[in-house]
Amino acid sequence: MTDPAQSQHVELRIPSQLLYLGVPDAILMELAGDLPASQKEIDELSTSAIEACTNAMEHGNGMEADRFVEIHFEFSPDRIDVTVLDNGCGFDHEGWRPPTDLLRERGRGITIMREFTDELLFDLLPDGRFRVRLRKNIAPAD
Amino acid sequence: MKIKERKRDGVAILELGGKLMGGPDAIAFGDTLKTLIHEGSLNIIVDLGKVSWVNSTGLGILISGYSTVKKNGGELKLLNVSDRIESIFMVSKLHTVFVSFSDEDEAVQSFA
Repeated sequence: MTDPAQSQHVELRIPSQLLYLGVPDAILMELAGDLPASQKEIDELSTSAIEACTNAMEHGNGMEADRFVEIHFEFSPDRIDVTVLDNGCGFDHEGWRPPTDLLRERGRGITIMREFTDELLFDLLPDGRFRVRLRKNIAPAD
Repeated sequence: MKIKERKRDGVAILELGGKLMGGPDAIAFGDTLKTLIHEGSLNIIVDLGKVSWVNSTGLGILISGYSTVKKNGGELKLLNVSDRIESIFMVSKLHTVFVSFSDEDEAVQSFA
């Protein structure tokens, strides 16, 4: 990024295949490194973005490689926003509860996203796509 | 994900590398554990030192492995869990399930 005082927008479309999950991670690692964010903050946001993309591929797009996940990154001096869109109809995120059985193998994605972001929003767009918005506020480095 | 297997003092050490994220990873890891159990290797260390990240599906792979080994009378412990992965274990409370080490000698000796 040439001017860290300005917001920068990056868009990405990836096929619904797990091998592409490393791409949003790589973008965040590369571009967030220019912001005054700690590695912990970048890791937490990237982990959350990977979770959102995993859900979008599996539950939204049914792992169909010709259905794409759209990802928007907004890098600002005091925060990073990541928006993930899929072609599914969403899920009952308000009724969702974390698993109580620690040995249950699935169902931790939302917990991870909630714990690692400052804002987590789910909604269904008028065009039928499901949207997840993740925000991570950046604390200036010491 | 890559899996490299070696033995030390009767303990099987599985070095995982890359990204732990479900799909074929689950099958490869599950098959490796089944083979070890079949051979009677029930003391298992999973070295995550070369794993760059884990998603919730990848956590499921580790939990499945832990449960499978335990059901067969063995133990699965973790080695070299990075700060990034450790934080995921903390928020999902899995740090209360898995025993982890940062030193291989200690990890191996813990089975003695």
